[in-house]
Amino acid sequence: MSVGNLASPVPIIQLCYVRLAVSQPQAAATFATEVLGLEHVPNKLEPFLYRSDARYHTLCLSAGAAKPSIGIEINNESDLDQAAKALARAGFSAREATSDECAQRFVRRALIVVDTTGNEIDLVLRPALSGRRYFPSRDAGVTGLQSVGLRSRAIEDDLKLWTILGAAVTDRAGEITYLGIDQKHHRVVLYPSDRAGLVYVSYGVESMDAVMQNNYFVQERQIKIVQGPGREPTSGQIFLRFAGPEGYVFSYSYGLKDIAPRHRPRQFTLEASSLCEWGSECTDVTELQPARAG
Amino acid sequence: MIELRDLSYVRMGTSNLEEAESFSTKCLGLQIGEQSGKALYLRSDDRAHTLCYFEGDPADQTVGFEVDDDTKLNAAAAALDQLGHPVHAGTPTECALRKVKTFIGFSDPTGNRIELVVRPERSGKRYFASRDAGITGFSHVGLHTTDPARDEKFWTTVCNARVSDRIGDIALMRVNAIHHTIALAPGRGPGIHHVNHQVESNDDVLRSYYHLSDQRVPIVFGPGRHPTSGARFLYFQGPDGMVFEYSVGVDEIEDEETHRPRQFGFEPSSLCMWGAKSIRPR
Repeated sequence: MSVGNLASPVPIIQLCYVRLAVSQPQAAATFATEVLGLEHVPNKLEPFLYRSDARYHTLCLSAGAAKPSIGIEINNESDLDQAAKALARAGFSAREATSDECAQRFVRRALIVVDTTGNEIDLVLRPALSGRRYFPSRDAGVTGLQSVGLRSRAIEDDLKLWTILGAAVTDRAGEITYLGIDQKHHRVVLYPSDRAGLVYVSYGVESMDAVMQNNYFVQERQIKIVQGPGREPTSGQIFLRFAGPEGYVFSYSYGLKDIAPRHRPRQFTLEASSLCEWGSECTDVTELQPARAG
Repeated sequence: MIELRDLSYVRMGTSNLEEAESFSTKCLGLQIGEQSGKALYLRSDDRAHTLCYFEGDPADQTVGFEVDDDTKLNAAAAALDQLGHPVHAGTPTECALRKVKTFIGFSDPTGNRIELVVRPERSGKRYFASRDAGITGFSHVGLHTTDPARDEKFWTTVCNARVSDRIGDIALMRVNAIHHTIALAPGRGPGIHHVNHQVESNDDVLRSYYHLSDQRVPIVFGPGRHPTSGARFLYFQGPDGMVFEYSVGVDEIEDEETHRPRQFGFEPSSLCMWGAKSIRPR
């Protein structure tokens, strides 16, 4: 998956999961299967665990968690130790997860890091895969967890964390910063904000047809479309962002471009057409509005 | 048999030429080819015109098809006459108004005004759109029918149209490799159901969806995708209630000899596989 062997150090392998703190997990659970279309994973530790691809899980709805977090896989033990030291030197707080916490995350080891803004990022080793193929609960065409948008109060400081981990800035629109960790245009996007949290959780789908079918699917269920259908000129992806439970936003996307070998980060102007070339606009989430993303 | 080669133009009366001009250029995005006080000629590709609005009754609508030459035109006139369709031979003035060498006019069994034309004019100047809608050309028309089976028979036996697919009893018919050039649509009387222009890409369909929505142009169907032709589409309403369509990605029928029309059920998913619902009044 990684093409990052050229630059060193690149300990990051992939974005593996999202853990969402929810107060009413049952309602969120219904959304996960009936709207998102993910597959529920029966297990003894986490009652609200979901698959979207070959991985054991990519979404966990946690009633106990205080805030959402994302899981990032690190190549191996020594890379993780090295990352821990480098992050400590740069002043980021990080702690080793307990064995219970690792079990709940279905990983062998985890370092729980907090960025300057206050977003929790789990650096994990050996996240679990499943031997059984993914079987969705509805035909939404989901191919897998694809990317997340993170709120950032201090883009430059938060960027430092990602740079230590070997992520690369692929493009910027205003101060919105797209970060690549593998061959895809981005896996993490930092959005200027005044608070911590997730802007959206994005699941890849298999075609433009799937994005558009999901567009009418969520419309018919009176689910609020936050933005789209639209197309990002930076990444090329066609997207549909819609409201999930408890203020979370989910996205379906198709057509996320691969990054060219000699790609240099481009600066896009801060205007609506840099965020959607088709002309969709977002009225609810300030981070997705050009006026805010300065 | 009358051999239709291609669509040539649509002519429509309008009660308000200024409004038609504004819509055609600011919304639809066509190029004004020629303009007089009483008529507006619009281009969508390398032809001199593919749409003409003239001062008159909005119900006065005509579709022009190109035939090979005068010999074929005369044979068509004789055949139609024999079948009892009154045929009108275009006068030189009428030919000039249509930018064609010769033409005949008649009505199909529903009463749609059809013209067969010889040598429609092309333009040496390339098409330059009035807005960046990505239009690549005028491509097909939807025609109302009061009796789908009877009209299908007319277009496929008197003319050379072939059925590509059917939705219920509604035939989508081709006259060349393009999936359909004539789409029949149930109606109470004669008239054009919609006028289609092809655009370059999916992006153009969606860009226009947002652009036209901003312009407060009523979107009556879409963005969507037809499972029959595979085209991504957007239908929207212009002056006098006429519906226009942008689409991209219409299949070509490659195996002319062996193609069998597919039968789709008469239900919404046969019209749009994405789940869009038409809101146009019937």
